[in-house]
Amino acid sequence: MDNHIEELLPFYALDVLTEEERELVEAYLAKHPEARAQLDELSRAASTLAQGVSPVEPSPQTKNALMARIGADQRRQSSVTKEPSRRVNRFESFFRTFSLAAAAVAIIWVIVLNFQVVRLRNEIASLNSSLAAQSTSLNQIIEKLPQANPSGAITVALKGTQAEPNAQGQLIADPASQSAVLVVTGLPPLETGRTYQVWLIAGAPVSAGLLTVDANGQGVLIITSTESIGSFKSLGISVEPAGGSPQPTGDIVVLSDL
Amino acid sequence: MRIKSESNLLRSNDQPSSSRLSDEVLASRAARGDSAALETLYDRHASTVLGLALKIIADRAAAEDILQETFWRVWKSADTFQPQRGSFTSWLFRIARNLAIDMYRRHSVRPQAVPNGEAGESVLDQTPDPDMDVANQAQAAMENKQVRTAMMSLSGVQRQVIEMAYFHGMTRQEIAEATGEALGTIHTRARLALQKLREELERQKFEG
Repeated sequence: MDNHIEELLPFYALDVLTEEERELVEAYLAKHPEARAQLDELSRAASTLAQGVSPVEPSPQTKNALMARIGADQRRQSSVTKEPSRRVNRFESFFRTFSLAAAAVAIIWVIVLNFQVVRLRNEIASLNSSLAAQSTSLNQIIEKLPQANPSGAITVALKGTQAEPNAQGQLIADPASQSAVLVVTGLPPLETGRTYQVWLIAGAPVSAGLLTVDANGQGVLIITSTESIGSFKSLGISVEPAGGSPQPTGDIVVLSDL
Repeated sequence: MRIKSESNLLRSNDQPSSSRLSDEVLASRAARGDSAALETLYDRHASTVLGLALKIIADRAAAEDILQETFWRVWKSADTFQPQRGSFTSWLFRIARNLAIDMYRRHSVRPQAVPNGEAGESVLDQTPDPDMDVANQAQAAMENKQVRTAMMSLSGVQRQVIEMAYFHGMTRQEIAEATGEALGTIHTRARLALQKLREELERQKFEG
């Protein structure tokens, strides 16, 4: 027990502590119920002190002034509540009708919304399954591409950089031709104002076109180059402002040797 | 006693007159806007409140103002009174005392000498109040005597500390300075005084 705080208890009971002292005591009391019990006894004793004074008969004017003040206060209070009370019957019946109508509307709205929710859920389910079907089919395409090559076409596996480690793809091309097909997965869709740009790199990068990915991060690009595909050493994909750039400026997300 | 007899009355089928209801019941009625209940509380306790105010500021006109203001605050904040935290009179006297001490400090009115703890500083000035019913008057008179007797059981210096704190709102540091005593001595005296007061009132079966 903190003797210093407990020494303040009688003065707390007598209500002569400073604000800080009061707070100290109250914090102490919160943690020490036995001190609270002690304080209660001291407080009870202190509160009797007023009853030990000699009572003095007040002048009648004091009571008259008090009761007049109370009367005025009562009139003020009742004038505030009077106006609404006169209209209360009309208001009550209006409110009753209004609340019934409101309740009916609310019930109908709930039913309508429930139908909407069910319909939307079904839509979402079918969208999900078609999306799944699409990514399955895209993955199948990617897997099968090496088998579906016409003679001369080769497939180069592409990997994401540290910026997009999950990105991967395939470039399917006949090195002698100037066309190729690029298939990419694992690239996150970009916000408006930015686009992926594909580069074919011999010495300096040459733009091979802008690549759009869908919500699943998959994209396909038909590349037509001015040179044969085989003349390039590597392929890269970078993030560029919408419309592309003459040279790569943004993060490089895919970079692989061909 | 007052409260027991009133609870019997409340259980009866007749509506008791408001003068027989307990302070706490009257306070809850006043909280609901019953000015007659407030008037009964006033009739019952005004002379004690005025006596208390006078003991603190010793200016009759100011003390009557404090009396009026005290009961005005009771009227306006009766809904904040919580019976489980203490009696109505403790709450009432606390309001009155705080108002009086504030005025005392604001105006630095100190017409009274610092009390020296001597007994019998004022003669009993108990004029019977015709508006208060006899049972309550008798009760109040008995409680007054009990508290005064209990105060007389304290030593002079113990009584002095209590009176300086309670009736003059002096802090423990101010009391130490005024009396020339160490702070520790003042602490001990205050604690012993209140403990002795409590024991003495228990011995007298004080119910107020």
